[in-house]
Amino acid sequence: MRVRITAEAFDPQAEVAAFAAGRDDAGALVSFVGTCRAKTGDVAVEELRIDHYPGFSEKEIARLAEETAKRFACPDLLVVHRVGSIRPGEAIVLVAALSIHRADAFKAVETLMDYLKTDAPLWKKESGPQGARWIEPRSEDHARRAKAEEGL
Amino acid sequence: MIHLVFLGKFGDVAPAGLGEIALPDGVGTLGELNHWLAEREPLLGQAMAATPTRMIVNQCVAHDLSQAIADGDEIAFLPPMSGG
Repeated sequence: MRVRITAEAFDPQAEVAAFAAGRDDAGALVSFVGTCRAKTGDVAVEELRIDHYPGFSEKEIARLAEETAKRFACPDLLVVHRVGSIRPGEAIVLVAALSIHRADAFKAVETLMDYLKTDAPLWKKESGPQGARWIEPRSEDHARRAKAEEGL
Repeated sequence: MIHLVFLGKFGDVAPAGLGEIALPDGVGTLGELNHWLAEREPLLGQAMAATPTRMIVNQCVAHDLSQAIADGDEIAFLPPMSGG
């Protein structure tokens, strides 16, 4: 289990390569990268700022990752999450899962992303020419979270 | 002294200087602290009343407003989270 919160830009491909290097105990590797959009609907985004609560955020994300790994029998999971100031085009989050078979790896990544959207102690604020606004989980995020809890 | 941490949008309305305060007289539980904060800082009180707020004491989730707090505690106020 590897969980890292970083204020520095990261290279998702290099992270995944390092995560998977030398692993011969899994037949599947699935990864997802969430990136900062330049627009939300019609509203331009110049900066995404993510707040975290040092110590607590890492602990909670590790707990969510451990639950997910256990549920889908993943020998290893990787979460890298940016905090601080993020520009459009930069990676915000990377989740990667190793598993014996592909179905569990796909489900693990999707489930962990659903958990992160509603349960990870992180707070996003979008800023652009039209001002700034805090983002809160949408009803769709809560619905996906409930579905993930039930078993997809 | 107690340490208060306001995350996300609560940080926008919490005045500077509220991060470390003497445990106010008559405040011995999370509920009493909430009440004291709402009276002293109405904008912050309104923001916290308008949204589901979680409280974390010394990095552990609090489930009950009757939970006791003491000198030296760190109490964090969390608005709805939005990771991923």
